[in-house]
Amino acid sequence: MSKMKAMSKSDFLQLIDVLIKDESLEVHGVVAKGTKFVFAHLESSSELRLDYDVTILPPKKYFLPQYDSMMLFALTKGIQVEGVQESKKKVIVGIHPYDIIALRQTDTYYFDTHVDDLYLKKRKNALIIGANVTNVSKKAFFGDMNTGYADSGYDLMVTDLGDTMTIDIGSKEGERLLAQYAMTRDATHDEEERVRRIIEEASAKARRTLQVGPGIWHDLLEKNYTNDVWKNQAEKCLSCGTCTIVCPTCFCYDVNDKVSLNMEEANRVRTWDGCLLRDFTRVGSGEIFREKTEDRYRHRFMRKGRYLPDMLGFVACVGCGRCSSQCIPDIADPVGVFNMLSESQGMPLEKSTMTPLSTGGDIAVFQPREPLYIPRPATLIRVEKLTEWEILFEVAMDDAKPLGHDPGQFVELSIAGYGEAPISISSAPGGTTFELAVRRIGDVTSRLHALKPGEKVGIRGPFGKGFPVKDFEGKNILFVGGGIGLIPLRSLILYVLNNREAFGEVSILYGCKRPCEVLFSDDIAAWEKRKDIQFLRSVDRCPEGECWDGEIGVITCLLPKAQFDPENTIAVIVGPPIMYKFVIRDLKNLGMPEENIVVSLERRMKCGVGKCGHCQINGVYVCKEGPVFNYKEIKEQPEAFS
Amino acid sequence: MKKKVAIFDFASCEGCELQIANLEEAIIDVATLVDIVSFREVMKEHDDAYDIALVEGSIMRPMDEKRLKQIRGNAGILVALGACACMGCVQRMVNQWPIEESMAVVYGKDNPQLKENAFYANFQTKALDEVVKVDAYIPGCPINRNEFIRILLALVQGKKPALPDYPVCVECKKKENVCMFESGKFCMGPVTRAGCDAICPTYGSECEACRGYVSHPEEKAHTEVLEKYGLSVEGILARKSMFTYRYQEEKKGVMQ
Repeated sequence: MSKMKAMSKSDFLQLIDVLIKDESLEVHGVVAKGTKFVFAHLESSSELRLDYDVTILPPKKYFLPQYDSMMLFALTKGIQVEGVQESKKKVIVGIHPYDIIALRQTDTYYFDTHVDDLYLKKRKNALIIGANVTNVSKKAFFGDMNTGYADSGYDLMVTDLGDTMTIDIGSKEGERLLAQYAMTRDATHDEEERVRRIIEEASAKARRTLQVGPGIWHDLLEKNYTNDVWKNQAEKCLSCGTCTIVCPTCFCYDVNDKVSLNMEEANRVRTWDGCLLRDFTRVGSGEIFREKTEDRYRHRFMRKGRYLPDMLGFVACVGCGRCSSQCIPDIADPVGVFNMLSESQGMPLEKSTMTPLSTGGDIAVFQPREPLYIPRPATLIRVEKLTEWEILFEVAMDDAKPLGHDPGQFVELSIAGYGEAPISISSAPGGTTFELAVRRIGDVTSRLHALKPGEKVGIRGPFGKGFPVKDFEGKNILFVGGGIGLIPLRSLILYVLNNREAFGEVSILYGCKRPCEVLFSDDIAAWEKRKDIQFLRSVDRCPEGECWDGEIGVITCLLPKAQFDPENTIAVIVGPPIMYKFVIRDLKNLGMPEENIVVSLERRMKCGVGKCGHCQINGVYVCKEGPVFNYKEIKEQPEAFS
Repeated sequence: MKKKVAIFDFASCEGCELQIANLEEAIIDVATLVDIVSFREVMKEHDDAYDIALVEGSIMRPMDEKRLKQIRGNAGILVALGACACMGCVQRMVNQWPIEESMAVVYGKDNPQLKENAFYANFQTKALDEVVKVDAYIPGCPINRNEFIRILLALVQGKKPALPDYPVCVECKKKENVCMFESGKFCMGPVTRAGCDAICPTYGSECEACRGYVSHPEEKAHTEVLEKYGLSVEGILARKSMFTYRYQEEKKGVMQ
């Protein structure tokens, strides 16, 4: 660590003006907006307000912009995808320590498992000149959160001592910048002392009445999932999303294709989304998995204090106080909520060492990556109508590489100008092509249904964890497929039937609403003929004009008819949300141990790589840790089958 | 084949049509994207063969109903254009009183025209979907041009003409506006459907809900906020009745 530097305030402002004049740079900083402050493009150092208390939006807007162009499609030239060019190097002046710590958290999240190249590029393309807090906003509680001081995550960190500015150098680039543009001297011992005092005083001021420090949050939330606080507070909630939008550690997004009016181009744009909004968990079929305001309200606190800590090791709140001050009904304030929870809590709480500080995700060690979101081109080889609503597509990747999927995984299928949708793979692993059976339900799938063999789509993936086929070997297997649940299940069924000798007894139960909805009728005809498996099927009802020679009734009516040993069979269940509860109840009644039940769950898997946040079942990312789960494990998550 | 588009109006200020006429250079792209076969505000030509009808205005008279049904019969897709067509807009406030009373106040009690002239045969304000099936909505007073283009493109592409189903606050916060409540104004943004890019708060005026409510407005919580910030019961009711009296009517006038 190099020694603290100092320069006169006027020299510092001159430095900012020099940076502004440099045409290779784009300088942003904190400016006044009415009685509030915002980060904005700086025209002159005279606009800079380092005496600000807090900005309306955090600096995340520079790295995950409100509307972030991910790629461009040239629609008239087949599907040509272009990445988005980055702009000039940005210098951002005046970021407070708590926001720097929040950016470090965002780094950890966006670099975890799949490195988000769009975010990384923007992070690498910016220089951060932080500023220690000299004015504390009324609702800030970074003192309570221990985030009033940042020891890294910036290029330079300045402290305003009145006539003098002290400067801490945080990176080689910061050092170069200073050497290139400014004359500094070493700070005196007295100046260093004053900086220390400013930091201490700000942190002391930014203490509210938080009775439970961040180290307690995890345990408190774990014990209070069903506390009345959630319901009572949520009654006042506007579901307006403000608390997530203004939060420096909220980084979920939605994706849409924006088509130009001349229809020559499409721009895939990601935009801020928030878990407080009702549509956040809505899937194509219309199902909303967190429909009650109360559930959404609780989710935000759980994510901050429990889910992200479990996943990445930090408490995802830095005490900036933005949600506390901008929520109009005043129910978003973490201080208020955690105090209420702790007051209603009789049991002693366990303290952990968890803090908002993030140790991972240092941008310096991450080099430019392969694009995470640009789909690979693929061609439709065969199109086969399954029912009035579903079509089977055989797809080949244009680079001729096999997809290399496991049964139960999914891909993100992309049609330029229409969007991207998660589709489960319904063919067995291996082979140079793969199959997708798709119900017509939204923009992407409706467009896909209009495509003919030879036409192009985009594919990302395969994603997620598939069925643990190796664990199934040598065991008896009972497949229970309801409706379009048969689509992902088929990849496993075909795999098992192709390797029949590796498994014990095999039973397949399939049910759907009515005969005209039966999928894969060729497969079903073949399964019925096989002597080495048991196959049973049912429909909920058989309307006049359709014919049916199987059972009539919901799928559970097949269970008593099926021959299997409940204690020594693995049940694999895929179907509509309502089905799991009843099938699992009946299987348990028959004596099947919970650990023998495997399910695949549908959620809104928008990005497929654990970033956009939509698919979470409590703290579990379905796109990464699922969609296949062992029942005994996933049932611990209250949202799994609610 | 390019889709043929016709634009019509009923009781309205024609301001939404003006938004289309005012698309400036984009109007050329619109005219390239679709064939506009009828648009009284800007052209003389008219043709009854069209795929998409964009209809502005609310329905006030039997003759309006008849004409709207004819348009519906001609059009493959019928789009409600603007707040009047989507929900009745400000002229729906008249529905708070018996129509005869309102007519007498406006035109005079003994005005012979009221009985003799079919143009005066007003009933209470109706939105288009209270008379015919509506396939898509472009809300707002007036409509937002970008949203108009987006919905038109969706219809041409065969996409769902979906509207955002979250409140104006989302867009307002993304624009970093100082909250209207903090500026001492009473804002309808928390219950109002986004898509306008929060244009009113951005220019310093509170949202008045001209785009109607989101599908599940948190009305009770919003009313509490209005009260907390000091708005009287009359003030609350007035705000909820200006553009959105339809919602009050549909709840049988019970203020939530």
